[in-house]
Amino acid sequence: MVDEQNRTLPIANVGRIMKQILPPSAKLSLEAKQRMQECATEFISFVTSEASDKCHKENRRTMTGDDICRALSALGLDNYAGAIVRYLHKYREAERERIIASQNKATSSSRDEDIEESDQSGQPSHQADQTPTPLMNIFI
Amino acid sequence: MRQAGSYSGILISGKTGPHLLPLARIKKIMKKSGDGVKMISGESPIVFSKACEMFIKELTQRSWMVTMQGKRRTLNKEDVASAVMATDLFDFLLNLVSEMDTSKSS
Repeated sequence: MVDEQNRTLPIANVGRIMKQILPPSAKLSLEAKQRMQECATEFISFVTSEASDKCHKENRRTMTGDDICRALSALGLDNYAGAIVRYLHKYREAERERIIASQNKATSSSRDEDIEESDQSGQPSHQADQTPTPLMNIFI
Repeated sequence: MRQAGSYSGILISGKTGPHLLPLARIKKIMKKSGDGVKMISGESPIVFSKACEMFIKELTQRSWMVTMQGKRRTLNKEDVASAVMATDLFDFLLNLVSEMDTSKSS
């Protein structure tokens, strides 16, 4: 039982998504949720396999969001691919802005320290070295 | 209760979370889908969270149409199977739904 729960998507989350699209008066049997849980899990495996094959053929080791989009298209799920491409674009933009914002915050706080120190010693202090954070290739 | 529509949330506010499906579980499923799956970028489970949400909603909607055709108000597993069989795009699920029916009867 535990094994099954770990190898499929959680039924509570799946049920919640199903309810979002159904009218409020609709009822959902437990078995229907279980079937949907299995189907959604198979969907992930199926698309991942396709994306993985492509990566292999191109001698790449890391699967990216773009690979998943291409796999969706290759499997005939073009409408998903289109929406996911837009979603990915927005996600990457949001990530970029988040990183820039946190870098700016770090810069401005160290700048304040500079001002304090130069008042005391007359010499500007060094800013903290900031290594750039890789945006998209965050390996798990 | 979580707010619906993380996609519309992104378009408006630029926020990408919270996700409707757990990313760690998605990653686990991805890794189990084949020996070739070794490294996965950080955005991949996030992409699948969205794709799965779309998939579940579409299959649910199609299943519900079958329920309504039968003049019922409870969506059951046979409706899900019927929707899969009626949709060419979901052919990859045919084995899965027929396995489910045989395991139930045995």
